[in-house]
Amino acid sequence: MIATPSLVSVVDDDPSVRESLPDLLHELGFAARAFVSAEEFLVSDCVEQTGCLILDIAMPGGMSGPDLQHELMLRRQQIPIIFITANGDQTIRPRLLAQGAVACLFKPFSDTALLEAINAALGTS
Amino acid sequence: MGETERLKRCINDLISVLALPAIWTGSDPTHVLSTLLEALRGMLGLDLVYARMNGPAGEAPIEVVRVAGADTFTVQAHEIGGMLDERLGADPRNWPPVTRNVIAGTEVSIVAMPLGLQGEMGALMAGSGRADFPRETERLVLGVAANQAAIGLREARLLSDQKRLATELDQRVARRTAELTAANQALRQSELNLRQMTETIPEMLWSATSDGAIDYCNARLLDYTGCSAEAVMGSGWTKLLHPNDVEQTVREWISCVKTGAPYRVEVRIFHRGDGTYRWCVTNARPLLDQHGGILKWHGTVVDMHDWKQAQEALRNTQAELAHMTRVMTMGELTAAIAHEINQPLSGIITNASTSLRMLAGDPPNVDGALETARRTIRDANRVSDVITRLRQLYTKKEAAAESVDLNEATREVIALSLGVMQKDGVIPRTELAADLPRVTGDRVQLQQVVLNLVRNALDAMSVVEGRPRELLIRTGRDERDRVLLTVHDTGVGFQRESADRLFDPFYTTKTSGMGIGLSVSRSIIESHHGRLWAVLNEGPGATFSFSIPCEPAGARVASLVSSA
Repeated sequence: MIATPSLVSVVDDDPSVRESLPDLLHELGFAARAFVSAEEFLVSDCVEQTGCLILDIAMPGGMSGPDLQHELMLRRQQIPIIFITANGDQTIRPRLLAQGAVACLFKPFSDTALLEAINAALGTS
Repeated sequence: MGETERLKRCINDLISVLALPAIWTGSDPTHVLSTLLEALRGMLGLDLVYARMNGPAGEAPIEVVRVAGADTFTVQAHEIGGMLDERLGADPRNWPPVTRNVIAGTEVSIVAMPLGLQGEMGALMAGSGRADFPRETERLVLGVAANQAAIGLREARLLSDQKRLATELDQRVARRTAELTAANQALRQSELNLRQMTETIPEMLWSATSDGAIDYCNARLLDYTGCSAEAVMGSGWTKLLHPNDVEQTVREWISCVKTGAPYRVEVRIFHRGDGTYRWCVTNARPLLDQHGGILKWHGTVVDMHDWKQAQEALRNTQAELAHMTRVMTMGELTAAIAHEINQPLSGIITNASTSLRMLAGDPPNVDGALETARRTIRDANRVSDVITRLRQLYTKKEAAAESVDLNEATREVIALSLGVMQKDGVIPRTELAADLPRVTGDRVQLQQVVLNLVRNALDAMSVVEGRPRELLIRTGRDERDRVLLTVHDTGVGFQRESADRLFDPFYTTKTSGMGIGLSVSRSIIESHHGRLWAVLNEGPGATFSFSIPCEPAGARVASLVSSA
């Protein structure tokens, strides 16, 4: 019996997110890893194990969140994605959801909203 | 006639001949010859008498002929001359004492004599039909007459030469005098032109001697300063300078006079027209001789006061523009600001949530909770820092309370937005009340409000298709005599039920921006004791308006006096 991979990976260029979110995820009962960029995530050994990806949309200087989403699709890695963004532009949400994201959370978001999204992503409840 | 009688007559004739010079002295050669021939013909009863005076080389001789009774024969002087040369030859020494010729059908005895020893002066010829011509006495009279004539002609020629020279001299003098007169006149005209130019040219001109003493100021400069020429001459000009500028200006002038360096100073000069000192630029250059020594100084004075003030105003405007440009990019910056604030806010909430969960565990993870609580405080401070930076960015250092012409302020805002309007295909119209009272307040803040309303209107119209994008900005007074400004657009308008929330901070219907523009605008207007509101138009679009109290009468005068 293969265990459902429950690793939650966080990709965000903001240090406070990389610092705080894994701790919250641990408290919520998930294994978590944080990556500073899409590139770092892609070269890590966590891609296969990741059951849910919490992905920042805008990361200056490298691949954006949607870029990574596209790349994973090309690699046929079907990882459920929860987008997070500090940008208040509401119009981006429908587009991202239409492209297959599980959820799109606007920073700052609550722990319950996050848990809901992760549960949806992992197909658990 | 007896011999005695003949001799007596001969002596009389000789005396007459010797007296001839008294008659012809001072006469020209022709007169000399004529006188001689008349006398000889009369004395000797000659039928034909001819004389020739050679001219200077290349010139025709003077020939005169006299005949007894013009009806006997007529003959031309040059015919006689020609015949003489032909018959007698060129050398008088070879001339025979007498020759017989037939002239005009009459046989004539001819006696020819040279004038001058070698005949260089000419020739004298006497002819008579008498068979005994010439007698001894007649030859004597003719010989003496020829001598007299030679002397007379020489004198006459000298005289004539002198006269000619004198005439030539006179002519040359006259010509030279005329030239000098013309030159003088031209010089006078040139001086007059120059003087007219320096006096009518619309510039202030002056000149100084090599040692720096002013010796000329044109009328324009004197008019400007209201001083007489005498008053500014020498070093009198320093009295025209602003007292604070005298020392430095004089020092500079003395230095230039010493070294010959071009002189240029900015100095306040008294202006009679308004009784004030005005900023002028005065320039001067030395006129040098061939050895580089200074002959004179020529200078100008140019009133730069208005230009200098315009420069000052321009600098102020540019500073304000820089400020406004910062405000204009607010829309673009707000997204970045939101990002800046949302990041630490996210950290705060996540850490606080984690902290709560750690404390709620069994057993509670106190160390973890303390750590996450500390992060919460740290992130909260980050937010606080961002807000502080923002406030510094958007707060003008000094809150001004100046007298503001809202029309002028509005026109500047429109000018700033013209580029965007053109790009969006919006045609701005203005109806600015000509008699709009001034208001007291912060001009730049009020311009921010107008700019914000204009930008909102443009944004509201940017998605409109199929109807004109019209922007109308009006100023005027409301029923309470306040100054009123309205911005009317034909954009998408707003939800009627949300009219109250439009001015709340962070309320926005736009996809970009934080929704603080109207909130900030309202607080600016309220700080000016005014009101900002919005209504939907009967047709498409919305109208945003604000009204603020106008400046109390006399306030402007008071503020001017207190600042003076």
